Amino acid sequence: MSEPAQYDVVIVGAGIAGALVAKRLTTAGLKVLVLEAGPDTTRSIADYTSHLETFYAASAKGAESPWPPAEAAPQPDGGDLFKDKSLPANSGYFIQNGPHLYGSTYTRTLGGSTLHWLGVSLRMLPEDFEMGSRFGLARDWPIRYDMLSPYYEQAEHEMGVSADVVDQRYLGLRFSESYDYPMHRVPPSYSDRVLGAAVNGMRVMVGEDSVSVQVRSYPAARNSIPRGSYQPVGALDVDADGNARRSFLGERCEGNTACTPICPVQAKYNANKSLAQADRRHLTLRAQAVASDILIDKSGHAVSGIRYKRYDDPGSIQHTEEIATGRIYILAAHAVENARLMLVSGLQSQSKKVGCGLMDHPALYVWGLAPFNVGSFRGPQSSSGIEDFRAGRFRTRHAAFRFDIGNDGWHATTGAPDATVNDAVLKQKLVGQRLRSHLEDQLPRQVRFSLAVEQLPNLKNRVTVDPSNRDKLGNPRPVIDYEIDDYTFKGMIAARKVALAVFRQAGITDCSSNAVELPFPVAEYEGEKFYYHGMGHCAGTHAMGDNAETSVVDEYQRSWEHPNLYLIGSGSFTTMGTSNPTLTLAALALRTADHIIARMRKHNPGIEPGPRRRKETQRVNPG
Amino acid sequence: MSVSRRLETFVAFSAEVTAFTPTEVWGTGLTQRYLDTVDGVVGTAMTDALLNAFDRITTQSAGERTAKLRQTVFGCEQLGPVARAVVKLWYIGTWYALPAAWQERFGPAAQDGTFVPTPDAYVEGLLWSAIGAHPPGAKAQGFGSWQFPPGIPKF
Repeated sequence: MSEPAQYDVVIVGAGIAGALVAKRLTTAGLKVLVLEAGPDTTRSIADYTSHLETFYAASAKGAESPWPPAEAAPQPDGGDLFKDKSLPANSGYFIQNGPHLYGSTYTRTLGGSTLHWLGVSLRMLPEDFEMGSRFGLARDWPIRYDMLSPYYEQAEHEMGVSADVVDQRYLGLRFSESYDYPMHRVPPSYSDRVLGAAVNGMRVMVGEDSVSVQVRSYPAARNSIPRGSYQPVGALDVDADGNARRSFLGERCEGNTACTPICPVQAKYNANKSLAQADRRHLTLRAQAVASDILIDKSGHAVSGIRYKRYDDPGSIQHTEEIATGRIYILAAHAVENARLMLVSGLQSQSKKVGCGLMDHPALYVWGLAPFNVGSFRGPQSSSGIEDFRAGRFRTRHAAFRFDIGNDGWHATTGAPDATVNDAVLKQKLVGQRLRSHLEDQLPRQVRFSLAVEQLPNLKNRVTVDPSNRDKLGNPRPVIDYEIDDYTFKGMIAARKVALAVFRQAGITDCSSNAVELPFPVAEYEGEKFYYHGMGHCAGTHAMGDNAETSVVDEYQRSWEHPNLYLIGSGSFTTMGTSNPTLTLAALALRTADHIIARMRKHNPGIEPGPRRRKETQRVNPG
Repeated sequence: MSVSRRLETFVAFSAEVTAFTPTEVWGTGLTQRYLDTVDGVVGTAMTDALLNAFDRITTQSAGERTAKLRQTVFGCEQLGPVARAVVKLWYIGTWYALPAAWQERFGPAAQDGTFVPTPDAYVEGLLWSAIGAHPPGAKAQGFGSWQFPPGIPKF
């Protein structure tokens, strides 16, 4: 017999999925180890502020700019996409085989990509779980909306989501009686209100359906005015001993217009908040520990350990190798990293589908100038969307889509305001009062929609590994094959048409249709060029299903082949729908945690039951 | 030009070309830092040429100053790109690399490149108050402020 396991549960990855599970399992009394590849530099105000300064000082302020990776735990970066002009593109962390570039990135730092997510916390629609039976596309999920609904409520409380249920009952979304979000909706921006007044109720034809358009506040994991006794959780301030100091910073969104890449006051949720609420008596957190290999016991099925490389200095690859053992193992390292780790360990699954079915929301920007000052560059980066095209009969023929309505001018599209200033000074030769007046006139009128388009799981879109291409620590890098298909292209065409109709109705002058040479990946379809960008919505690499032949994990995200191994996160998504994946993967993670607690209790009745739904999330314990 | 006179002239020039007041320019706390930045990129001799060109017209009327600036500074192949880089530096806090053509003719400017001289430079960009906004990630306007009509302060 081997030695007894060091922990009840070993979790790889301290992003949102790992943090939520760690909190729930330790609260139930389970002994948990969390391995995090990146540095632990995000939990004190002082450390967090140094990331903010890094962002201020960066001349290119992309999503990863405040979060530079450690030498030993590299990560994809938006800037990588354009270093290689030909395929395979091999200049960043990803090796991209194409034919289209995969535009999404993620962060390997304690807290994961929630450090720079936008905070949009939409639920998936009931029909998103049933793409097979309703539309004859892909497969149904092994679970339905109503099975996940209680966990959506729990996730909304864990993360602190602000919204009013009254706004969110559309396209079949239903909520339990008397339920409402923990905080009132984040106030919609002035530009949302102006746009809504101009376009609400207008009708647009999509296929045979006439759809009514509405500018709608979306649920956001940003602190707003609490309902009842709910206590918003603001900025973390954990000292070197792991004690959380009381901090009042960030209990409301201040409108920093920087959700991505960094909320300076942490009014926006990040995974470290959940991790700080774990029961510290039962939690061991080991940062700068890069999982490199999953070990399998003699039976050939059960996982017997996780080998990891631990480094002391983020600027060096000097490391020592260690093995963590537990009774249960959870990969919560991100859709791409989970698949990479499985494949590196030779665990392809019976279905051979590990890594296959990689998805994203390839998105288009449409931008223009409003007829008057709408106050751009104020408030949270966005506060409303247009959700009316997330469902419809057209889904048999093309992808569904949703619009995010920016509050940040053309920042994401042209690089405004810097690009606007550059253009005015260098091309238009403006200085002094003429320059200032020009900028006063132009910038506050800039409007931007981001059109996020659904993508179906295509098995050819996948993550693989190539042992001859390794990172500095010696871990094989992810190799990406990615192609946008007709279903999504047709959705892009429909989405752009709707966006331009909305612009016309609102009197917004379109400035995007003739734009060329944009700094985004480009794809051609039927003679038309589409500049698209990744939404960071990596998913589908270890999809769940109802049997081992067609899927990698079951409805509890448990590996079909390895009974003590779970792969959690958006990698488990069977299909993508149109919602930003974080809330759904959080709900799935909580469901998995309850399942694990129930399973462990069978063998050890001493373990406390999983917590019931709590309307009030506890304030971070001030130690 | 004395050290203090040099800085004062730089501030006066900066105010002139940005259409902000000298008080607002001083208020950024970045005047010396930016003068050092310009010196660092193009050298003190060229910075002096720029400041002297401006110093010669400070007593003239606003209209005359604008015309003279156009002729002797912005219209000058050597000083024009430097002056424009200074305007952008004040507006958005980033020093943008001088054009390749300038580099060929008047370079090399050793410390040229696109960079943010100090994290404060980003935060203190003059542009933001001109458009009634704030630099993303700093100087937030407060919970719910964004739901109200925008206002651009007039001075």
